[in-house]
Amino acid sequence: MKELLVLSGKGGTGKTSLTASFICLAEKAIACDYDVDASNLPILLKPVDPKGHEFSAGLTADLDKDICIDCGLCRDLCRFDAINSKYQISTLSCEGCGFCAEVCPVEAISMSERPSGRWFASMSDQDGKMVPLFYAELRPGEENSGKLVAQVKSSARQKALEEGYSLLISDGSPGIGCPVISSLVEANLVVIVAEPSVSGFHDLKRVRELLALRGVRSILLINKWDLNPEASEAMEKWAQECDIPCAGRLPYSSELAAAVAVGEVPVSRKELRDLILPVWENIAKTLEKQN
Amino acid sequence: MEIAVASGKGGTGKTLVATCLARILAEYNPIVIDADVEEPNAGLVMPHRVIDTKPAFRPVPEVDMESCTLCGKCAELCRFNALVVLPSEVMVFTELCHSCGLCAYMCPENAINEVNHKIGDIEESDLLSGGQLITGRLLVGEVQSPPLIKAARETRRQDSEYRLVDCPPGTTCPAIESIRDSDFCLLVTEPSLFGAHDLELSIAATKLLDVRTGIIINRWQGDDADVGIIAREQDIPILERIPYSLELAKSYAKGENPLTAMPELQVILENVIKMVKERVA
Repeated sequence: MKELLVLSGKGGTGKTSLTASFICLAEKAIACDYDVDASNLPILLKPVDPKGHEFSAGLTADLDKDICIDCGLCRDLCRFDAINSKYQISTLSCEGCGFCAEVCPVEAISMSERPSGRWFASMSDQDGKMVPLFYAELRPGEENSGKLVAQVKSSARQKALEEGYSLLISDGSPGIGCPVISSLVEANLVVIVAEPSVSGFHDLKRVRELLALRGVRSILLINKWDLNPEASEAMEKWAQECDIPCAGRLPYSSELAAAVAVGEVPVSRKELRDLILPVWENIAKTLEKQN
Repeated sequence: MEIAVASGKGGTGKTLVATCLARILAEYNPIVIDADVEEPNAGLVMPHRVIDTKPAFRPVPEVDMESCTLCGKCAELCRFNALVVLPSEVMVFTELCHSCGLCAYMCPENAINEVNHKIGDIEESDLLSGGQLITGRLLVGEVQSPPLIKAARETRRQDSEYRLVDCPPGTTCPAIESIRDSDFCLLVTEPSLFGAHDLELSIAATKLLDVRTGIIINRWQGDDADVGIIAREQDIPILERIPYSLELAKSYAKGENPLTAMPELQVILENVIKMVKERVA
């Protein structure tokens, strides 16, 4: 089984539109959305009959004011300022470490599981081809997105093993932090979708640094290259120096924006399919060579 | 007044808005805090002079094996599985540690010390247009960004009437750490299905934080689309609309001043400032 992960560092470079396109162009693949903060792949892939599962990221503290003797120890020791002067616990600040519960001299504090989101197993009908789609929704304000990413990944991989899928195509989160690091586990190749702007180039370099640190191979795809042809050229030159192959360049396309605006997978339109197919073929070839 | 510029979806124009606001407010010497510590970009589009760079740390346990009796208490108490007690040593998984300090406090032999683990840098700069820029830059490979965001927001060289926080995308802990306790949150979105979906989640987050919120629609093409529906349903005002402009996108890609590429942006954002002030007052 191989996993192709799509990242970008910078948000809004076109990760999701292209991931959905690759999923439709691939002969047989499982789709995953690791952007558990703001999951958009389902908007394009339109899952049928999703089965939701509760997810708990950890614990949260509850304080019983009838037992509390107002000693203040919990408040003094909490590193997350989660307990205020009235001994109210902010679930937004509480990390669930249990320090307060452990030190409370009268055992007024207990820890309980907190539901922090849901993950879904579903199917997506792409012109008669049924694609399994795994995604999740972390509740706003929650933490531990990395753990939820790991849950989505393991559920998808389990399905792949059971039903003989040999390819996972995954849409990552922006940035280089917790959810991205979690999504790198067992990924065979990362497509970096980069935009030729000063920010896009800067963010691309940070993603590449993370991938080098974790020993994950990548391939570069420049999106909206004509926004800044000089920067596109500079990015390709840089990629060559870093030994990163280039899958190609895609132009800025109002057609693509229009397709996505109404929730269509770009490659369902012929003009866009003709643009994206060669890029996908390059990626698929590179993936084939990866271990 | 502290204004957080945030959005659920990435690439909607948070940095564009935050840095243009800083240019417009230049006479007040505003402070821009780049809290998107994973990919800090404000400094790339705002000319500045770096004054100082300080490392930022978070505490993690270090076990003194001379005193440790391998009793296992620390591993048993750690809710994040950051400590594993083996037959002859204790392993610390820094990545999993949330820096709560429980292990060090509870160790019966006082064998655990907390040591500084570097998570990134805080860079303090003077903006050439006037004011300051505080940039948090996460060390590549580090998992925990909220402590660095907190440190960036707490950095104060001098005070200003206006503080602008350029937030990371998303709706979970890094975004929360960037928005909390602000006087106002500007949610920058775009009129697409993705934009509307992520906007709804962002509004839920600012409601949790009890921060006053307004919407700016970027790349507007004559129709609020689903963003308008969400704004009405959630009762959050749409403060302004920035028209779609390929010229602006091209100029911004080169790192040029957006107010030159699109002069009407000045009027739009001055109006935003006016409306935010009315709402905060």
